[in-house]
Amino acid sequence: MRALTRRAFLRATGLGLGALAGGTAAGCTSSMKGDIAPKSGPRVVVIGGGWGGATAAKYVRLYDPKVEVVLIESNRQFISCPFSNLVLAGVRTIDSLTMGYDGLRKHGVRIIHETATAIEPDTKRVRIGEGYLQYDRLVVSPGVDFQLEQVEGLAQNQDKVLHAWKAGPQTVQLAQQLAAMPDGGVFVLSIPLAAYRCPPGPYERTSMVAWYLKTNKPRSKLIVLDANQNIISKAALFRTAWQAYPNIDYRPASRVIGVDPSTREVRTEFDRIRYDVVNVIPPQRAGAIAVQADLVGGDKRWCEVNHVTYESVKQPGIHVVGDATIGLPVPKSGNIANAMGKITAACVVSLINGQAPPSLAPGNTCYSWVSDREAIAVVNAYKIEAGKVVQIEQKLTPAQSPLVAQRAIGWTQSIWADVLA
Amino acid sequence: MSAAGRPLLRLTLAVAVSMLLGASWSAAEAAGPLDQRGAAKAVTCSACHGVAGNSRSAAMPIIAGLDPAYFKKQIEAYASGKRLSPEMEPYAKQVLDMGVDDVAAYFAASPRQATPITSPADSIARGRTAAAACAACHGPQGQGDAAKQIPSLAGQAPGYLREQMLLFKQDRRSPGDPALASAKALMKTVPDESFADLAAYYGSLR
Repeated sequence: MRALTRRAFLRATGLGLGALAGGTAAGCTSSMKGDIAPKSGPRVVVIGGGWGGATAAKYVRLYDPKVEVVLIESNRQFISCPFSNLVLAGVRTIDSLTMGYDGLRKHGVRIIHETATAIEPDTKRVRIGEGYLQYDRLVVSPGVDFQLEQVEGLAQNQDKVLHAWKAGPQTVQLAQQLAAMPDGGVFVLSIPLAAYRCPPGPYERTSMVAWYLKTNKPRSKLIVLDANQNIISKAALFRTAWQAYPNIDYRPASRVIGVDPSTREVRTEFDRIRYDVVNVIPPQRAGAIAVQADLVGGDKRWCEVNHVTYESVKQPGIHVVGDATIGLPVPKSGNIANAMGKITAACVVSLINGQAPPSLAPGNTCYSWVSDREAIAVVNAYKIEAGKVVQIEQKLTPAQSPLVAQRAIGWTQSIWADVLA
Repeated sequence: MSAAGRPLLRLTLAVAVSMLLGASWSAAEAAGPLDQRGAAKAVTCSACHGVAGNSRSAAMPIIAGLDPAYFKKQIEAYASGKRLSPEMEPYAKQVLDMGVDDVAAYFAASPRQATPITSPADSIARGRTAAAACAACHGPQGQGDAAKQIPSLAGQAPGYLREQMLLFKQDRRSPGDPALASAKALMKTVPDESFADLAAYYGSLR
């Protein structure tokens, strides 16, 4: 973790010196110490600028412009995980999924491109390097981190064995590995036990890699090693789609426990499988800050929250949104994170103003591509019943179609704007 | 710090008014964006339909400014499965559960912004010619007629319009609904390839 310098903070937030109490001259390169930006009114700090956090930051400002919002996000650009399987297949570019944070700045969100290193709930402080920020309410949207230790050989070979499960450089590298694979080669995809980010994501990836191979390397094969007993989302629709891809060898109940790039082999409990290109999606847990701040439950993986306010059941005043949460009957999806971000913003603004928080349920729309031009979808609607999120209905598209794919594109355009614009 | 657009202006006005009246902060809060009728209940809609119902995409319809009776009829049709949409059926049930009148009131009060999706000029021109028959119901400028629950097509998302015309032609949108009979009869006379032109034309109207 790079220490936050005063210069970096000024650059990152666009704050003038006047906003910093007792500031020495700009240009000082020593670490920031003490209060980085003293609070002058109600303040919400958001950790994590993904689907949940960016949405929460924007909507707090929309709902109550007198509340100051500071967003802490180490990445300077937002890259969408939804649609990133299309990059693997060469159907879209990573640039088409990459967006900046200027839209949030226009809403008055201050952004610090650093990593939050610790949370101090007793003093309501977030540590950034050697400095800290004070908050009235904190929203933590930490996403997921990988449990590399669950697969032998993974931690020491991260440069060779890619996850590509956070859209970004690894997505591009895996696309390059796939493109460079000789025709006749074997691509092995490993799926962890649920729960993990984006339940249908691995099966969409299976479809898109199979489509790419069928189109470009017809003698190649895709072996899918799924730790789960069956396809865990949109199963019938994926099964139908895969009838067009005889190159898929889908093996359920096959948990990968080791990988060895020197012999190009993955190991399950029963088998060794040789690969030319491997993609191990590792088991996951809430992002590191959630573990550090003791927001995770007894499983040490996920964060339990109040179903109405998303306040942590363990740490009052701290709300957790997105993939890091557990206990609600909702998938770990970008659409759910977006909904949680808006609902949490409404609750946080209400609580800061001494009002009762609204009781709102999220919704989930989830598209998956099954070829370069066709997609499928699942939609979940919810209500709040006795303080808990309860599903009203789940609906699937009857079949894959280009029309669903057009609506998938429409969904990205709308929701990216809802998160960032 | 930059302004937050219209909500800030609205709140600033509310604060000014409340100060004039000597009202408290909580009274000013009552005029905040979250306290508009239905605003909180509409919170999940923006993921697809855009902030305040002004979709910026081609496929997702703009629902800002819709007549409340028309809005309610569509939600009920989606929830009952008369208007087939795997995406909208669950959400329609969620809206009914929360209270459709509040949500309808929220979108009806939201100023409609025309789609930013642009179409080729030649397609718009062909659409203008083909649209003559549509004007009888939807009006010469595609403005619709709220009293008859005929929606405005002007500035609507073209991808959505195109998909709906196809559903009308195939009688897959609310089969048996007498209010749609004439539209469906008309669509049966239109070749599929003209739908994109009609959609381009109506999307371009302001």
